[in-house]
Amino acid sequence: MIRYSIGDRIMIGCIYLLLTLLAFSTFYPFWNALAISFNAGLDTAKGGITFWPREFTLENYSIVFQDSSLLRGFGVSVARTIVGTVLSILATSIFAYGMTKRELIGHKYYMLMGIITMYFGGGLIPTYMLIRNLGLMNSFWVFIIPGLISVWNMIIFRTFFKGLPVGLEESAKIDGSGNWGIYFRIILPLSGPVIATLALFTAIAHWNDWFVPSIYISDENLLPIQTILRQTLLSNISVTQMSGLDSASLARLEQMKNVTSKSLTMATMMVATLPIIAVYPFVQRFFVKGVLIGSLKE
Amino acid sequence: MRNKRKPLWMTMSVVFVLALTVAGCSGGGNKTAESTEKQGTTEQTTEPKVEGNTEAKTAGWQLGSEPLDFTFYGNYDWYKMPEWGKDKTTAWIKENKKVNIKAISSGGGTAAKLNTMMASNELPDVIWGERQPDVERLIEADMLVPIDQYMDKYPNLKKWLDPKAANMLRSSDGKLYIFPNWYTTRANGTAGWVVNKKIYNELGSPKLETFDDLYAYLKQVKEKYPKIIPYETGLAKDGQGVDMIYQGYKENNPSYQSFYAVPQGDQLTSIYKDPDFREARQFIAKLFREKLATQDAFTQTADQVKEKVVSGRVAVYASSNPTVDAMQGDAELKKTDPDAGYIMIWPLHKEGLDKNKIFAGNYKQLGWNGAVITKNAKDPEKIFAFLDWYTGPEGSALQMWGPPGPDGYWNGFDADGETPKYTDKYSSDSAGLGELQSKNDPFMWVGNTVYIDDNKAKFEATLPMEKRNWSTHYQYEITWKTQKDATEFVNLFPVPDSQEGEIRTRITDIYLEQLSKAAFAKSDQEVLDILDKAHEDSVAAGYQQYLDYITKRWHENLGKMAGK
Amino acid sequence: MARTTVTKGTANHTPMLKPKQRLGIRMMKQWDIQLMVIPALVLIFIFSYIPMYGVLIAFQDYKVGHNFFSNPWVGFKHFESFFHAPELYTVMRNTIVISLLKFAIGFPAPIVLALMLNEVRLMFFKRVVQTITYLPHFMSWVIIGGLVTTMLSVDIGSVNGVLVGLNLVEEPINFFSIPEYFWTILITTNVWKEIGFASIVYLAAIAGVDPHLYEAASMDGASRFKQIYLITLPTIMPVVIIFMILAIGSLLNAGFEDILILATNPGLRSVSDVIDTYVYRIGISNFRFSYATAVGLFKAVVSVIMLTIANAIARKSGNSLW
Repeated sequence: MIRYSIGDRIMIGCIYLLLTLLAFSTFYPFWNALAISFNAGLDTAKGGITFWPREFTLENYSIVFQDSSLLRGFGVSVARTIVGTVLSILATSIFAYGMTKRELIGHKYYMLMGIITMYFGGGLIPTYMLIRNLGLMNSFWVFIIPGLISVWNMIIFRTFFKGLPVGLEESAKIDGSGNWGIYFRIILPLSGPVIATLALFTAIAHWNDWFVPSIYISDENLLPIQTILRQTLLSNISVTQMSGLDSASLARLEQMKNVTSKSLTMATMMVATLPIIAVYPFVQRFFVKGVLIGSLKE
Repeated sequence: MRNKRKPLWMTMSVVFVLALTVAGCSGGGNKTAESTEKQGTTEQTTEPKVEGNTEAKTAGWQLGSEPLDFTFYGNYDWYKMPEWGKDKTTAWIKENKKVNIKAISSGGGTAAKLNTMMASNELPDVIWGERQPDVERLIEADMLVPIDQYMDKYPNLKKWLDPKAANMLRSSDGKLYIFPNWYTTRANGTAGWVVNKKIYNELGSPKLETFDDLYAYLKQVKEKYPKIIPYETGLAKDGQGVDMIYQGYKENNPSYQSFYAVPQGDQLTSIYKDPDFREARQFIAKLFREKLATQDAFTQTADQVKEKVVSGRVAVYASSNPTVDAMQGDAELKKTDPDAGYIMIWPLHKEGLDKNKIFAGNYKQLGWNGAVITKNAKDPEKIFAFLDWYTGPEGSALQMWGPPGPDGYWNGFDADGETPKYTDKYSSDSAGLGELQSKNDPFMWVGNTVYIDDNKAKFEATLPMEKRNWSTHYQYEITWKTQKDATEFVNLFPVPDSQEGEIRTRITDIYLEQLSKAAFAKSDQEVLDILDKAHEDSVAAGYQQYLDYITKRWHENLGKMAGK
Repeated sequence: MARTTVTKGTANHTPMLKPKQRLGIRMMKQWDIQLMVIPALVLIFIFSYIPMYGVLIAFQDYKVGHNFFSNPWVGFKHFESFFHAPELYTVMRNTIVISLLKFAIGFPAPIVLALMLNEVRLMFFKRVVQTITYLPHFMSWVIIGGLVTTMLSVDIGSVNGVLVGLNLVEEPINFFSIPEYFWTILITTNVWKEIGFASIVYLAAIAGVDPHLYEAASMDGASRFKQIYLITLPTIMPVVIIFMILAIGSLLNAGFEDILILATNPGLRSVSDVIDTYVYRIGISNFRFSYATAVGLFKAVVSVIMLTIANAIARKSGNSLW
């Protein structure tokens, strides 16, 4: 097996130390937020909540979940994330594989055409008009189709595809496989890590997006969870600012006496992000070393 | 989507047919909207004079005589309209008045959504939100229906909205587009000074009326309670506790700092040259320099302020809205120590000024915001009829106290047709009433402050002191008495994309920058230097043009209020 | 050019064909790979190129209610007013300094993290650290801003508590009112927030390294550090270079939300105002869409120029975008 020298041991020791420090510094705020989300808001406001809630309550969550459409929104989000990610990764990686071909006529122009869109855009209003004219308003497909091709992802895919051993492709060609066959039989199976990475990025983008629905969807049934949560949170925070105004909003504030904007923000963050965060550990197995080589040898 | 289209078209065509029939009775009012001014006068002469009684027959459309459907858009990121007809109150309205309102959701992306709707001319029927700047942009783009053409035909807005305020709400073309919300004729607001009761008592409840008193008090706090923040300013980047001091250095100040100008004669002039302003700023710098004011003033978040207040770690707290934090802090502190909590004091003032001329904040008779009817509405007059009813006694009572009836909180009106006849439940079930009101809150678009507050005050007066809400108590005792009417200063600001608007943006930047810089100045002289520099920078950015502009608008306001 | 009839047998000898025909037929012959890219390009054309007429408003005085072709044309007025804006110098300087700092520190940091994670043999530890470092990416800037301002607060901040406790400073430092500290705070927070997330793509690249190479190197007595330098780094180099080109292309994006939230103190504007915050304040929040579009267009042009230069330099390494 691999032997370590003293220098190696020192280096590895330092690495463990640094990583532990980094992990703790990134973990604590998140854990603290979790503790706050389970603590009575006004009690939190006294300060001093660190690792565990002091006055345990589910009130924050019950306000976050007060919107009956939340479950439906969750469904919309899951559907859009899965469909959007699968289709986008498939379409973009096919595009990228085509773009790796040197013999592809026009590939330089195609690349330029793609890259320009990363910097120049027409802005919201022309896009809105386009979406409307295409009949995508209030349609599930407005989440999927406009973002199907990501030039940025295409560039990363292409870089990874180019790094794959050439020999395999050559031998497949000799066996009589066409380019599409090679893509599906050789390239895709070999690209576990990059597919996992970009699928994760795409899924996160889909999950977190509240803006597209806020513009193109006015049918409440199609709003994803992020949009609903964002609105609920903003509305509850505003109560504390509006309550001087009239007796009705004062009454509303009284209803959520123990809750503060901070405790609500934390509970909302947990509900909004935990599902997507939970995906990562499953993606990690694609990063295990040797996946690529192992499949190459078969 | 496709399945839904049919019924939608059907209802729309029904509404449209009805609209045509009604148009006959109402004299085809909206077709000639352009010549409202003329029309307004002719209508006034042709319509029979309506007496005060709401039951009186008007030439207008009778709400509930036929279904009314329209779409509604709340122009706030935080606003989400609950589904209409799902709660008791709106269900009652749907049932009895045949009104059905469909929310257009903004999903928290309000600014972008409104822009796209405007650009593609797909506005909802009613938009509810701030008067400036969006409503002004809608007016400019000629997308709204003026409502003064209907006002005379319907009783309520005409009765409850002060004609002066109505004049102020008028757009520059002389027409009224905005149906105001929480409009009022008397003071309201929350700005003020809050004092930590426990510390105050422990220090022997010294006199706390002038800034000299304050300074001595804060010194004492700092000495005896090193962990306590002597003076909490709130979010000073927005003025708050810093502005509150200027309020006390100038009599009759309707928050001049909010438009960076003070009147001199009939001109609005540079605020940086105002002696009171300069003196106040020096006092502020002194508090910061001697660590008597929170050093985090300009960087802290609202949560951090709340944290300090709720945990009792501030001695004096002043801002434009200290009541929520103080009320919650009061409740929380009392849990462990009944003698702890917060009290509100009369706004502090500079030695030698008249304390009755010191104001903590301002209010405007025009209220908070308003609703507008767009030209996309099939039937603007019917929508107006609904809003007019909604702001009237019956509508207001519904919103505040729910559906009437023997099992409700009220059951019909007294003989005057206005004062609700409360049931026993009204005083016995305050929790239920609170819940009802909090559910109704998102539906209150055209609130009638005078009507509601009058009726609430009558009831509140019957309660013993300890049963009153902290915030409500101090509203009656202090805050409402110390807010200055600033109606003459509304709508001063230029449209943002005009040249003056551009100047104002720059001047705002300069103002905000000096606010924090001068607070941390090392000496009184440095404060003055920073203010002078800010003045010069503002002049270079076009201050004079801006001052001339707002002076002109101010004079226009004064003219409008005088009835011109 | 001589006209010759083309027979099937001579189709390979293309010089005889007219250029136009030649291209079309050649493209037809590689229909399978063209079919991989053309549908994607059609989508890009529809959703990115068709709306591009929107940039026209940079040359107009856009007012809501007009359509895009009925606004008055004003030529380069908005560009001129941007170039003559009194804030221009500060804004450009801050943009360049902040983005260079972010590039110099924020770009290599995730690579280093990925390399460090790669040295960890305890799989459980590795997975836990990976997952945890990726968490802050999901926390909004509002939450992180609250955290940082609390930590650095004068009255209650733990950092000042430690500094004063250890007698390192006489009295607490007001971090957010001293311009000199701002860039450090901004860059540190940014790196901390995104390091774990950004390292994922490098971890994916490292997964492609043949483990036998390490074994062989180890046999030869190469230290771990040398192995990183000789094996791991060269393998992930293409990915690093492509990311570097893209990062150079977005050097004018110095930040937006992070700055808005961390630089709430208006006194910091001399060090915090960058193009995007400036455009937001002066342009978008004042509905000066034409102005905002003009500045955006300026940014895009500069970005593409920088990208082209970076790409030309990178081409020498054999890795380039085109």
